[in-house]
Amino acid sequence: MNKISRVIRREEKLAVFPIACADHCAHLLNMNYSEVASDGTKLARALEHGYRIYQYDMVLVFSDPYVEAQALGCPVKFSPSPTLLGPRSNQSIDRTEEIIKAAEILKRKVDVPVFVSIKGPFSLASFLVGIEEFLKNLLANEETTSNTINTALEFQIKYLERLLKLGVNIFIGDPVASSSVISPKLFERFAFEPLLKLIKKIKEKELIAGVHVCGDTKPIIPILDELGADILSIEDITPKTRTLKMGGVSTETIFSGNQTKIEEEIKQALIESYLILATSCDVPMETDSKNIKLMMEIAGAYSND
Amino acid sequence: MDFDNIKKAVVDMEVEKVKDLVTKLLKNKRLPEEILEKGLIAGMKEVGRLFSCKEYFVPEVLMASEAFYAGFDLVSPLIKTKQMKEKGKIIIGVVEGDIHDIGKNIVKVMLEASGYQVVDLGKDVPTEIFVDSVTRENPKILAMSALMTTTMMKMKDVVKSLEHKKLRNKVKVIIGGAPVNEDFAKRIGADGYGEDASAAVSLVEALIGE
Ligand code: B12
Repeated sequence: MNKISRVIRREEKLAVFPIACADHCAHLLNMNYSEVASDGTKLARALEHGYRIYQYDMVLVFSDPYVEAQALGCPVKFSPSPTLLGPRSNQSIDRTEEIIKAAEILKRKVDVPVFVSIKGPFSLASFLVGIEEFLKNLLANEETTSNTINTALEFQIKYLERLLKLGVNIFIGDPVASSSVISPKLFERFAFEPLLKLIKKIKEKELIAGVHVCGDTKPIIPILDELGADILSIEDITPKTRTLKMGGVSTETIFSGNQTKIEEEIKQALIESYLILATSCDVPMETDSKNIKLMMEIAGAYSND
Repeated sequence: MDFDNIKKAVVDMEVEKVKDLVTKLLKNKRLPEEILEKGLIAGMKEVGRLFSCKEYFVPEVLMASEAFYAGFDLVSPLIKTKQMKEKGKIIIGVVEGDIHDIGKNIVKVMLEASGYQVVDLGKDVPTEIFVDSVTRENPKILAMSALMTTTMMKMKDVVKSLEHKKLRNKVKVIIGGAPVNEDFAKRIGADGYGEDASAAVSLVEALIGE
């Protein structure tokens, strides 16, 4: 059995994944990022490269947060970085097939668990109408809000079913539902149920379900635990959880390359009995690869103690 | 008290109620300046406080600012624009490559609520645009926001470019956003750093003071 699953079962203490995704891996290979984000074969090549040079314990198929939003009609640009240009229009570009292709290729090529990143229906819904408009409607117009979230959820259920057929694991990212943005009450009212539905579907197929929320999550830890996911990827891993935590090294630290700080944060994180040591979010594109290698090395040395 | 009711309606995010109350007070010949200061602005100050202590989150702040603007739009045409001009013009924007504008928008609302005239350049703003608009608008303050370690260095570019164009001593530069701090502000030669929207207001007040 693979390391990630053993740590989830508390049969092993530590797995490692500095969240290196499409932008960073493409950067390593000098590949054009916008091509990588829209071509499954290239995406797989970039992600496989990252895996080969760093040798971490899982692979995450993530190109940018807007795959589903774009498929539903939101305009997106990729240069200099992925940017959502506006709410839903009638010009959709569907990249889900490319993501699926990349996942298929990677499943054949790497011998660690392959995860595909999808958006939580709450965050996806916020992209569809524009984040500010959406946030206001949470208070001003519950019905519109529920309708938008349902549209997002329906899309995600279909997309998820296609992914689960491949037998890949799933990470659901819901950044807009973070307590940096909305209250725990609104999280419970609008973000919780849709996440729960997706997680149940993943678990029915006995695949691994991860949830990623960046920003502040302290106030919602008990609710996140209720989701029953296998992995909780969060910025601040100090609160106690039932769910296995993932994180420990801030993206700022890994980007800065401050060796003492990287080591300190890892040491601090390893107080946890069981952990997927990771960065708090995907590593910034231009992160020096020696910083990530250093993280792999330090983690290796500590876990051999 | 009348002003307190307006303040409360802003805090309670009640757009229509704010409009009604402001209209009523104006009919009763109350001074628009006073309605603005003691009602609307007092309300947004309280909203800022609630946000700082995590009782309010972004949706609540956005809705309260709708209520604020509903009243602001009624009184501002009656207040001599002179007064706002005197308090000073501020240019604000999120640096290039960065689209995180939620925080910037909140800072903007709080600055406007405090009586400053704010020119919003939006998000993903190239260095040249910041510099050009300093030339054109002649603001007292240039406020920049960045939420990513990968984009915060753009702030330094802007400061450098201002120096290069001999504009640096014409404008105070303030910065904010999760990855930056006081120390970073000093290092890049900015005049100040603010942790949140309330801090942004105090900072501006300290720099160009009343
Ligand atoms: C919501 C969010 C998003 C939303 C943004 C929506 C929007 N329109 O703004 C979405 C989902 C679209 C998004 C996208 C991305 N995000 Co994002 N996002 C966040 C999150 C969770 C919260 C940010 C937020 O809105 N906070 C709430 C506001 C109110 O707070 P604030 O912005 O800090 O502002 C306050 C203060 O800082 C201050 N302030 C702000 N500006 C100024 C200016 C002045 C002058 C002053 C005085 C004060 C001041 O006052 C504000 C009010 O109190 C953060 C997590 C975090 N830790 O911050 C990540 C985060 C910022 N995102 C991150 C990343 C990596 C991304 C992506 C690149 C993801 C990807 N891989 O594609 C993309 C693309 C971003 C891009 N190109 O810019 C990283 C950045 C890491 C880094 N490199 O440093 C963070 C830190 C997450 C993480 N842990 O890694 N994101």
